[in-house]
Amino acid sequence: MNIGEELARAWHLARKDMRVYYFKAPNFTYGLLMPVALYLAFSISGSLSPATLISGLVSLVILFGTMSIEAVSVVLEKQTGTFERLLTAPVSLLGIVLGKALAGFAIGPLTAVIVLIPVSIFSGTSVLSPLAVFVAICVSSFTFASMGILVSCFARWTPEAQMYSNFFRFPMAFLSGTFIPVESMPYFLQVFSRLLPLTYSIDAVREGLNNSYLTGGYLLDLGVLVLFSVAFMLVSVRVLERQMN
Amino acid sequence: MGLNRKTEFSVSVVDLTKHYGELTALNGVTFNVPKGSIFGLLGPNGAGKTTTIKILTGLTRPTSGSANILGNDIVRDTIQAKKRIGVVPESSNIYEEMTAEQNLIFAAEMYGVARQERSRRTWELLEIFGLAERGGDMVAGFSRGMKRRLTIACGIVHRPEVLFLDEPTTGLDIQSALVLREQVRKLNAEGTTVLLTTHYLEEADQLCDTVAMINKGRIVALDSPERLKAGVIGSNIVDVSFSESVDEDELCRRCGLIEVHRLGDKLRLTVGGEVDVVGELIDYSRARGVRITSINTLKPSLEDAFLRITGLNPEEAGRDKEPVRMRRQDG
Repeated sequence: MNIGEELARAWHLARKDMRVYYFKAPNFTYGLLMPVALYLAFSISGSLSPATLISGLVSLVILFGTMSIEAVSVVLEKQTGTFERLLTAPVSLLGIVLGKALAGFAIGPLTAVIVLIPVSIFSGTSVLSPLAVFVAICVSSFTFASMGILVSCFARWTPEAQMYSNFFRFPMAFLSGTFIPVESMPYFLQVFSRLLPLTYSIDAVREGLNNSYLTGGYLLDLGVLVLFSVAFMLVSVRVLERQMN
Repeated sequence: MGLNRKTEFSVSVVDLTKHYGELTALNGVTFNVPKGSIFGLLGPNGAGKTTTIKILTGLTRPTSGSANILGNDIVRDTIQAKKRIGVVPESSNIYEEMTAEQNLIFAAEMYGVARQERSRRTWELLEIFGLAERGGDMVAGFSRGMKRRLTIACGIVHRPEVLFLDEPTTGLDIQSALVLREQVRKLNAEGTTVLLTTHYLEEADQLCDTVAMINKGRIVALDSPERLKAGVIGSNIVDVSFSESVDEDELCRRCGLIEVHRLGDKLRLTVGGEVDVVGELIDYSRARGVRITSINTLKPSLEDAFLRITGLNPEEAGRDKEPVRMRRQDG
């Protein structure tokens, strides 16, 4: 199969996923409400700069918004039998995983912008490089969607997927510099935070908020997020292959 | 031979073996499905039918052996093979959160049907399958029969050259089953090769040009339904019911029968060719003081051939699932 056909099928799959899973009010609002509630709870202390809190909030919204759906999207299809329909279609496993990640990639920026614009206005924070922030949001969306798919591939039923998803999301929310600066954490936690994709997402959004030019740190953050995405997708394909055989 | 092997057969399976850990699901299965034919794969539960279909549709890989769809090896050229097949699984696998139209459009998109063709084919199929009035409704509100019809429509929207149907009429009402069988015949008449599995042996008898009987992972018979039925020689089948229950072992012994199976309120007797079974049954009923309430002599059916070849009794053949359907023609 040529790459064009593979990408076209992945995109059709992404559109179907958006229709079936993302544009449902409960799913959509959960991805927004949970991080906003966490943000409000932690911003009351006033110990963090607006840029730090906004970058944390935006990344959290993407993490919750994309992962809460992606973490169950594969397992739900397995339970209803529709995943078999995808497996018998002329598209590779990588194409299927890519299609599912593209749905998260398309929805993540929408939820992030819904939060970013009013919070920036109310807090009086200016976004120095809107394009850099938008790119960081898009790349982060893809990474978290890929991570959700990996979780979903391992799970056998929906509650199991949700448990795995929370197992990763909540510790990440606290250890990636969302509410507590990474620099103020004990050294081993600082090292550990570097293994978490959310750390790089928050860092990249913050770099875009604070700088009107592309910094080396920003590019490094994006590079690491892309590597995480590729790794999550390849492992997902491997897991699915093993399950099939 | 003048004909190329690839053009003769739509599906070629050679020495297919599949192990799941210690379990051998398929053990050296070999068969060919001629182009333009309807081929039935019959067997009891756990015989290997589903594993065969799974391998042929790219859902799992064989441990050894090869399977070829229209000249494409299903392991090496999986995507090319998948482009030319349609798959209708045993359970309906449509998206309940989408409308019937959206389901068909999505199926067409995944198989690369041209944009301008998708909508036309979708509404054509909705019309054929009697779903046009509900085309814009969410599938969640559909009946089981409607979902089944839509699943089949999704499997053929891209006009596949080979169609795999796994238990296509299971759970359907009689009218829906008739419509489906008619559609299968129509597709076949238009050139589609059909490979189906079914528990309904009568269905296989009516539809298939060739059937393969599979048991314990091996093909145990492969021929046309008529030749398989003709192979059941040297015995006759008689269905009899009495006004009161009788001892099956005693009946078997007294009347010189080969075997007796209870089927609901009647007994199915397998009789040796030389026995005057009607006379024996009348003598038996008089001696026991019971009345014969019905008696039917039957021609060998595909079911008889199936039971004879697999060595199973009717209960074993239908174990864990819907029993093998027992409708027959009186002879």
